[in-house]
Amino acid sequence: MILFLNLTVTVLVALIMAYIIRHYLFTLAALYHKKEQFPYQSHETKCEPAVSILIPARNEEHVIERILQRMTELTYPKEKLEIIVIDDASTDRTGEKAERFAKEHKFISVVHRGNEDGGKGKPAALNCGLKHVSGEFVYCFDADYYPQRDILEKLTACFRDPKVGAVQGRVTVLNEPNTLVTRLVALERTGGYRVDQFARGELGLISQFGGTVGGFRRNLLESLGGWDPDTLAEDTDLTFKVYLAGFKIKYVNHADCYEEAVEDWRSYWRQRSRWAKGHMQCAFRHLWPIIRSKNLRLKEKVDGFLLLNVYFVPIFAGLAWILGAALFLLQPLSWTKILWLTMPIAFYSAVGNFAPFFEVGIGAYLDGRNRTYWLIPLLFLTFMLNMLICTKAFIDLCISKITGKKRHAWSKTIHNGKGNHYIK
Amino acid sequence: MTSVEERFDCSRVKPNLVHLAVGSGFAAAVIVSHVQLVRFLDMSALVSISFFNLLFVFLLFPLEGSLLSKVCLLFAGNSVGVLWYLIQLSLKEASLFFLSTDTFKIINLVAWPLIDFVWIVSIWSLSLSVLASAKRKTEGLEQS
Repeated sequence: MILFLNLTVTVLVALIMAYIIRHYLFTLAALYHKKEQFPYQSHETKCEPAVSILIPARNEEHVIERILQRMTELTYPKEKLEIIVIDDASTDRTGEKAERFAKEHKFISVVHRGNEDGGKGKPAALNCGLKHVSGEFVYCFDADYYPQRDILEKLTACFRDPKVGAVQGRVTVLNEPNTLVTRLVALERTGGYRVDQFARGELGLISQFGGTVGGFRRNLLESLGGWDPDTLAEDTDLTFKVYLAGFKIKYVNHADCYEEAVEDWRSYWRQRSRWAKGHMQCAFRHLWPIIRSKNLRLKEKVDGFLLLNVYFVPIFAGLAWILGAALFLLQPLSWTKILWLTMPIAFYSAVGNFAPFFEVGIGAYLDGRNRTYWLIPLLFLTFMLNMLICTKAFIDLCISKITGKKRHAWSKTIHNGKGNHYIK
Repeated sequence: MTSVEERFDCSRVKPNLVHLAVGSGFAAAVIVSHVQLVRFLDMSALVSISFFNLLFVFLLFPLEGSLLSKVCLLFAGNSVGVLWYLIQLSLKEASLFFLSTDTFKIINLVAWPLIDFVWIVSIWSLSLSVLASAKRKTEGLEQS
């Protein structure tokens, strides 16, 4: 029994160490990457195909006008642009406000979903919108987002590579100064996008579609069956479907978009629970196909494996902590003693997707955000919370597997529009 | 249509390899001296201090900034690390008189992974902050 426990701790620590090394390599790659090969546009040519943007919105009356106003300010030619707002059975004035924009601008239209069809989550709303699109490329923006004016040019340029099936832009936090939670989320985003996503692209690994600020080739998206309404992380699900279909996702760091981050711990918990459950669902679904895929290189398979399991890392860390401490008191083997010594390092530097402190620090350095360093030690709070969130998500998933419950309730993040005053 | 050549430059750091080499030498010397100290401290101190040095040398030494400030920050970080373990050691000794040995051992074991990173993360972030501020000042001077 003791030997079994020792072996378990060894495996857990080895897995955590793999994530530490991964993040360390990502940080080095982001810092000292080779000069990026930027898309070159020759004289007299521009890549401006017809594009459609889907904006799913459920009770977003505080933010819907902000994004629609921004859509009218995009520099992309309006005759090649189509904006479809999916009013997903809103009970507030979201639909009414969107309709006002649709009346004023020909390229904006609104699809209203009633109580019978609507309110079943973002993937279902997006699939509904997908039926109405006419563009060659389909983008998706959440209602609380605020993109750069030329974001479509930057993203669409990547589709000139026929291997690129999807593109992803960078997300930064609009309401960062509001609360401690928004500040910490901003730090996570810095590490996650500026270092993690960027390095994955640089190293030719799996770039992730984040569910928003991104787009697909329409024919590819349709052939993949659109967004899966049965998963809570439809973005991760699509990411792996794209790679399994033999395409790539291109992360474009300079295509920036603001988001309104959650402002309190309760909302943080709900949002991350949904992400954790969804990601774990994807892990169960795609792990084996990724390993067997002939479209992926070995390094992509390894990264895909680690990416799919990233939400298990906080659980591993918690387990290794409890088992390691117990074993150290009971009967540790010599190698377990050494492994236990590495635990503090493992603890804070392998938080996976939530970006370890050195990744966040270097991301902030590269962005020139000098005033955020003092907050980095506080990321410990989100790490501890994520340990609980991921463990609960895993237990919930196991229970739903046992009871045969397939669908999970989509808990919507509420946006109060407090970020509006940061926009001129 | 106008001719367009899009060049979206992404900030990257040209690593200062000389600083990296010097930093590696200093870190190696510091770790060797810590190995000598292990009989006074304990193994856990050595592991954490080595990790701190690894992070510091490869992620901070190649960045912009004066070599002297980096070396000073490295030594300051190591000093804080040693101090941290001396405090822990003192607590351990003191607890022998007031609590049972096991009590401290259990508290230390459970809390250790949480407590230990505090100095590593704080000192590392502080050092990065110092380097970034120096860089900003230099850029400000160049612009003016």
